[in-house]
Amino acid sequence: MLLLEYHNLLLKYILTERFASTTPSSIDQVISDFDGVTFHVSTPESKTKILISISIKCYKDLLQHGAQQVLEREYGPYITETEPGYDFSLLIDLENLAEEAKEDLIRRVSLLRRNTMAAPFEKAIDTHHALAEAAKAVSSESAPQATESEVMVIRYRDEEAMYIQASADRVTVIFSTVFREETDRIFGKVFLSEFVDARRRAIQNAPQVLYRNDPPLEIRGVPGVGDVQGDVGYITFVLFPRHLTQQRREESISHIQTFRDYFHYHIKAAKAYMHSRMRRRVADFLKVLNRAKPEAEEGEKKERKTATGRSFRVQA
Amino acid sequence: MASQTPAVVMDNGTGYSKLGFAGNDSPSFVFPTAIATKGPAGGGASGGAGRPPVAQKPSYLTGGAGPTGHLSAKRGTEDLDFFIGDEALAQAAGPGYTINYPIRHGQVDNWDHMERFWQNSIFKYLRVEPEDHYFLLTEPPLNPPESRENTAEIMFESFNCAGLYIAVQAVLALAASWTSSKVQDRSLTGTVIDSGDGVTHVIPVAEGYVIGSSIKSIPIAGRDITYFVQSLLRDRGEPDSSLKTAEQIKEELCYVCPDIVKEFTRFDREPERFQKYVVEQLGGKKVTVDVGYERFLAPEIFFNPEIYSSDFLTPLPNVVDNVIQSSPIDVRRGLYKNIVLSGGSTLYKDFGRRLQRDIRHLVDDRLRASEARSGGAKSGGLEVQVITHKRQRHGPWFGGSLLGQTPEFRSYCHTKAEYDEVGPSIVRRFALLGGPGT
Repeated sequence: MLLLEYHNLLLKYILTERFASTTPSSIDQVISDFDGVTFHVSTPESKTKILISISIKCYKDLLQHGAQQVLEREYGPYITETEPGYDFSLLIDLENLAEEAKEDLIRRVSLLRRNTMAAPFEKAIDTHHALAEAAKAVSSESAPQATESEVMVIRYRDEEAMYIQASADRVTVIFSTVFREETDRIFGKVFLSEFVDARRRAIQNAPQVLYRNDPPLEIRGVPGVGDVQGDVGYITFVLFPRHLTQQRREESISHIQTFRDYFHYHIKAAKAYMHSRMRRRVADFLKVLNRAKPEAEEGEKKERKTATGRSFRVQA
Repeated sequence: MASQTPAVVMDNGTGYSKLGFAGNDSPSFVFPTAIATKGPAGGGASGGAGRPPVAQKPSYLTGGAGPTGHLSAKRGTEDLDFFIGDEALAQAAGPGYTINYPIRHGQVDNWDHMERFWQNSIFKYLRVEPEDHYFLLTEPPLNPPESRENTAEIMFESFNCAGLYIAVQAVLALAASWTSSKVQDRSLTGTVIDSGDGVTHVIPVAEGYVIGSSIKSIPIAGRDITYFVQSLLRDRGEPDSSLKTAEQIKEELCYVCPDIVKEFTRFDREPERFQKYVVEQLGGKKVTVDVGYERFLAPEIFFNPEIYSSDFLTPLPNVVDNVIQSSPIDVRRGLYKNIVLSGGSTLYKDFGRRLQRDIRHLVDDRLRASEARSGGAKSGGLEVQVITHKRQRHGPWFGGSLLGQTPEFRSYCHTKAEYDEVGPSIVRRFALLGGPGT
């Protein structure tokens, strides 16, 4: 398992099972996802009406960048009054649900988190396309226009944030990361330098990745940057137009969103791997030590045998 | 509630792992505790056949292009090439993967595999960032403290989980019984009968602490009942006597009868008690299997083991009675009063009722005998109560979920900071969760 899935497996399971079974039953489950996202699946009114609510830390930020429109586009008829304590709710009525719509609905709902988070990226890509059009129209002699949009900030965790900026020839996504653990930080550094190198070595059309410890120029002026104490790293992804074409954009958005989780997952996987090698090494060393143990007390009272087979003791 | 992330409850048993979030009424995932790894038992248990292949330079990125087998193989991503749970069983059927069961007899046998099993459970199935969540894990009774320490090392050092609590399964099973209406006081004293697939344990618990010296285990559990049903089917020459059929018959049609002889005559009197079970075989063919006396005979092996086994002959009620009699005298009353069932093999209809009746008979006989011996003294009687409840199947998990959602749960956990301060030995002791006064 190299990549993490984008959808929530549990949401998918629950819905698949509910949709397939003929006997409705009540559900009341709280499900968690990465980055403090919480889902609540319940059947408050009747057993056939499933209410799915999501709570997401940066919902306010997302709303500013068009989350509402994206969600309306994806879940239009299912949106319902938001459950208190949560940010967004869907209501699925099992009784009037077309058979052919089910599969698509399962997919959409299980991508709820991804779609909610997708809004700013979609906005950035749209802005990029608009700016690119505008830039084409401008001849080289005319005065340079503003070719960069303002930076969108999504504080998706307490101490970490995503910054997205669109411009005529690229979309820049910057993640700030904080490591509380020394070991993690080192693993992270190695991991990130691999990211930076990857473009040079193997994959030419990968987005450019930069890693630095001070805030990059793009986000210097943004309020909140640099407030966090401790070891903050900034990872910059530069998405080029070829990542942003109509066919690719959905995929790109999914990938870049899961970056942090992917990153942390692999740090942990690497640690698990290290540990298994350490255990192996310890077992090997133990074997060597055991071999080095002297044979059972020999020396003083050693028995020897004569040629005829009689034994005698060697006197000290 | 949304402001605080729910605790993750993981109950890894020999057969199945139960994963989920605290506060829910059922585990989110239940799958076999199995892991399928590449190669012939690669990171093998204790054989030490060879060390895991050394990655030249673990570039995850280039391997990350997708499941392109040859590329990722060269780049050293074997450590990520494994499956757990149901997927593991599916993969192991094909070539290339071997299946491993990291837990044996309730205890972790292979830590490498267990670590990876947890890794996948957390990231792929539960999808949580362990740094944001508290974890509640379970352990079998009499788990060596070293095993706890190993668990803590993995949870804290590999996963940096925010906090950890390790609870004994039997204690959690007691907590799960609080949902039953029969339980008035939420005490953590009682006898837990935990019957899973492989083995049945009778565990006395006093005030949340397991009385280790009195634990008894019985080599009769779910799997034996299945075998027994299967052998009965085979003896009669039924058209289908596969293990799977036997298991389904066991789960759907079996029950516990009050008296085995009367039940036989009852079956002969009421022919509608004989049932037919339709099995769909491979290729869509349907065969009908007659189901007769095994409906009540199968669970009967708990009460009359001689019909199944020739070397273990003590009936379950006697074992329970012996266990309680060997416990300290001041807790015996509590142990008799609160006998809690847990695990899949205790789900038969009327299992609890029969057990309660049989134990009560034993107790009453003893009381009467001692009254006679004492010459006129009257005993105040002894209350025997077997508690059955709706959450029996995943008892320990549900108990964990119940305790994990309480607001004070976090204060009972050891946090990452405390672990860093003290080291692994910190998990040798935990404050008693849900004990008196909470």
